Amino acid sequence: MVRLMEPETVRVSDVDWAAMTDDLALSSDSPDRLFEEQALPFMDQLYAAALRMTRNPSDAQDLVQETFVKAYAAWAQFHQGTNLKAWLYRILTNTFINSYRKKQREPYQSPIDDLEDWQLGGAESTTARASRSAEAEAIDHLPDSAVKSALQSIPEDFRMAVYFADVEGFSYQEIADIMKTPIGTVMSRLHRGRRMLRDLLTDYARDRGIAASPARSTQ
Amino acid sequence: MTDCGCDKAKKDLEEYLHHELLANEAADIREHIANCASCADEERVGVVLIEAVQRACRETAPEELRLQVLTKIRQLQTHA
Repeated sequence: MVRLMEPETVRVSDVDWAAMTDDLALSSDSPDRLFEEQALPFMDQLYAAALRMTRNPSDAQDLVQETFVKAYAAWAQFHQGTNLKAWLYRILTNTFINSYRKKQREPYQSPIDDLEDWQLGGAESTTARASRSAEAEAIDHLPDSAVKSALQSIPEDFRMAVYFADVEGFSYQEIADIMKTPIGTVMSRLHRGRRMLRDLLTDYARDRGIAASPARSTQ
Repeated sequence: MTDCGCDKAKKDLEEYLHHELLANEAADIREHIANCASCADEERVGVVLIEAVQRACRETAPEELRLQVLTKIRQLQTHA
């Protein structure tokens, strides 16, 4: 049966905001119009990052809303043509650090950035080849929930470095600007974060028997 | 043909995967990986890890949040 009527609830996409605000005379290149056209489309991405930061949907929503309010207030300082996404992420990160980190359940731990063992991969060279290709297969087949919970369990600075690089594709320099740290620290956090994530996921896969038969040639 | 060797390939793999190497350095690593099964496996783990994180982190903002943000911004515009 074809449903002809939309449900009663009003969806944002159904609201004709432009018509509602005709009297505000939002011309096509007004700052307000530009903000809505350029900044608001980053909402999904900012929400995803906020979820990784706060680790709960309610705080993530508050954080995103606060970020947009601050971004709107500072919009005149944004230089058109520069990297808007990085600008928004800087505001998100600052807002998180100033407003939310304090009330997180887990007290903020100063990361062990200073250790010089960023070449943590020592053990991997001794790992047999077959097991490494099995490792890739296993990670490839993990449920999203397992990856999310592994991410949640690694220290925040490592987690966000991995997020900024692997999900958002920010350059190391952009991540350094967002996190306000030297680029060497970004590399260290990224390396260690990815190493931790990899170990957690590999353990998870092994415990669940995922990809336990790597020898595809015998199938 | 200069092979950068496994040590360098493994050391720089992460920068390689994140496109942080200069073009000629990246070319060296790419060439080594093409000829080294062990480093190719290592690269595969790295790629799969990135993809797994990307998959897991895809989110859509709740409709409620969109409405809240738009309403808030419209309020601020009106009072500006």
